[in-house]
Amino acid sequence: MTRALVVDDSKVMRDMIVACLRARPGLSFTHAGSGLEAIERLSLETFDVVVLDLNMPDIGGIEVVEFVRGQDRLKTLPIIIVTTRGDDGSRTQALAAGASRFMTKPFTPESILTEVSALLDAQGAA
Amino acid sequence: MISRVDLGEFLQAFLGEADEHLTHANAQLLAIDAGLKRGEPVGRQVRELFRALHTIKGLSAMVGVDPIVAIAHRMETVLRAADRTGGRLPNGSVDVLLQGIRAIEQRVRALHAGTPPAAPPQALLDALDALENDAPPIARAQAESLELDPAIAAKLGSLERDAIASGVTQGKRAISARFTPSAALARAGISINSVREKLGAIADIVKVVPIAMTPTASAPAGLAFGLVALTSSTNAAIAAAVGIDAASITVIAEAAASAPVTSEMALLPPEDADDDAGVRRVDMVRVEVVKLDDALERLSALIVSRSRLSIEIARLGSLGTDTRNLLALAREQSRQLRDLRGSILRLRMVPLTEVLDRVPLIVRGLRRSTGKSLRLDIDVGHAELDKAVAERIFPAIIHLVRNAVDHGLESPAERVLAGKSEEGALRIECTAVGNAQLELRITDDGRGIDRVELARRAGAPIPETEATLLALLCRPGLSTRDQASDTSGRGMGMDIVRRVVVEDLGGQLAVRSEIGHGTTFSLRVPLTISIVDAFTFECGAQRFAVPLSTIDEIVELDVATIATGPVRTASSAGTVGVLARRGQAMAVLRLDEVLGLPAAASASGRPKGLVVRLDGDSVAFVVDRMLGQQEIVVRSLADPLVDVAGIAGATDLGDGRPTLIVDLMALSALHLAQHATAHLSIPKERLS
Repeated sequence: MTRALVVDDSKVMRDMIVACLRARPGLSFTHAGSGLEAIERLSLETFDVVVLDLNMPDIGGIEVVEFVRGQDRLKTLPIIIVTTRGDDGSRTQALAAGASRFMTKPFTPESILTEVSALLDAQGAA
Repeated sequence: MISRVDLGEFLQAFLGEADEHLTHANAQLLAIDAGLKRGEPVGRQVRELFRALHTIKGLSAMVGVDPIVAIAHRMETVLRAADRTGGRLPNGSVDVLLQGIRAIEQRVRALHAGTPPAAPPQALLDALDALENDAPPIARAQAESLELDPAIAAKLGSLERDAIASGVTQGKRAISARFTPSAALARAGISINSVREKLGAIADIVKVVPIAMTPTASAPAGLAFGLVALTSSTNAAIAAAVGIDAASITVIAEAAASAPVTSEMALLPPEDADDDAGVRRVDMVRVEVVKLDDALERLSALIVSRSRLSIEIARLGSLGTDTRNLLALAREQSRQLRDLRGSILRLRMVPLTEVLDRVPLIVRGLRRSTGKSLRLDIDVGHAELDKAVAERIFPAIIHLVRNAVDHGLESPAERVLAGKSEEGALRIECTAVGNAQLELRITDDGRGIDRVELARRAGAPIPETEATLLALLCRPGLSTRDQASDTSGRGMGMDIVRRVVVEDLGGQLAVRSEIGHGTTFSLRVPLTISIVDAFTFECGAQRFAVPLSTIDEIVELDVATIATGPVRTASSAGTVGVLARRGQAMAVLRLDEVLGLPAAASASGRPKGLVVRLDGDSVAFVVDRMLGQQEIVVRSLADPLVDVAGIAGATDLGDGRPTLIVDLMALSALHLAQHATAHLSIPKERLS
């Protein structure tokens, strides 16, 4: 089973992301409603891909990426940023911190599925 | 492998979440408004408001609600600029931002009602664009030296440092605590989420920082969280509440014990200073309402079993057993249960002033959007309401306030023409009704309701009485304007207000309107819902309960002293008589006839009269026999098939037989409405 961690403070947004990604067989989903929860789960469990929002109440997505990339075990974990903040500054910052991909909301079901699938396929995951 | 996922299916979920974010946004904007007036930093609130709008924008974009995206985007731009200057907002921002929130709320309401949201008003977008932020960044607070782990200190921004400094000035302690997650703790339900929730209940969390470390036996995940918070609780209390090691808590800043009294403090009169300190030092615990509900639910069960105990004791007594000690104990237990009930109910009470907190802000927005000049006067004293009641009643109050400003009050020019002052008056006040009800009144001095025009629009006969006027106003879908107005919108009408007050809360709604002089809506609601003290009695061979609080007094009736009045009717409304009581005339009704019950075969002894007083008129209901007084758990009758006027609900007196709870107030209101009672009215001045 391939495991995806979906991180967004909006439950509706997480549900939408999961609905879009369900089309890929063999993918299971874990929700995290905050950056801190994401870091805790990433430290305690194993995931194959992370879908991450930037703007969250406690610590933002950039901080999560920075933390994750500082951990040896998580250095190559695919992380896709999905954010409403589409400005170049955010994109540059996120990619510099070590995010694998950067997508802006609103996205189409097809586009996010394509991006996530590409990341997983590149990792050789099922 | 491309699947068709329709994100439009998430619209309902989106609307639910949007309401949450809007509530949060309103609270933040209110805090900003209050903070600016007091000259306090509002950086954190600005950032929170920004976040709320950012989330709304993102969600709206996903479900394709472009008008909301446009409004939220511009508000977000204003707030991002403010955030960059440490929370400094251009003058006039609060009003424009408030209009923005209102505009989003209207569109969310429209979507709730199934209508497409209107395009954003260009004037609003222009006003938001015009909020140029040329304010210089707020000077950084002196970077205070905090006794803190450098890994955490590095992550504290100026907003957080400001918050710590201002918290310490207010006498709180700034602490740092550490939580080390592990798989075992996670299985036991202890995670950063639960720790944060528990700490948040007794402290104001300023920042949480993840700290990476080499995995060890004590930190298997190679992760710890550093939590920085402001609190008035002791380290031991925090450690116990949060479930972390007290040794991991360190104080990073606190007011020096020998700190010189600031000049501001010295200026305060001593009693004020005491008062203030008292308020600040109270240890607060936030409790979820569901937990209180659970406690009440258990108490209800206890009260029912207590009633059964009484029945058993009485049975023992009838068998000749000496039950005096048992009875004394049972009475003692009743008193304790009553005290316990009182304590739990008090926990659920919230001050009405707090409930109405947002009204001034809403009115402020309405002033702008309607161009009307008005004075808002809220006078509710120290009245408190059960939180469950408050939450239900609040939207109804807001509808009435919006209606009053939008439809009730005239424009300044119109008012001058009508010989009134330019400024309209809107008043919210309340009075206690007995000790179980509260009457809220929302009054405007506007144009009053034009009954002829209303009747024309509704295609109904002109309402002659206030009851029929209210019925007409509460017709679902009735809009008193051809065009849905900017503030009141469409689809949220008086029918919702009526449903909340009458059906959900079992209260009463009334309207009084005089053309040219204004309108008053009265909402009578219970202070709490669930348990009441009640009299139990027999009438027409059935057993009933009636809330104690609605009964003015119980009188013994001598049939001979009841004069059959001239208003006797042949209808089934009950035999009307008049009883002279303390020099005043009082209507007397037979309850069994009012309720359409067969008369008891032979009522032994003298009948009793339950007297209720309604707006100065007293009415006595004749019942066969009083049974006693006890606490009852009110179960509302939700089934519309058993929706009978005058029946407030049902209860279980402990023997498993359902007992109806009668609403004598409603029955007397019905009676008074049905009969011309001029000859029964007592001059008002003699009542006081």
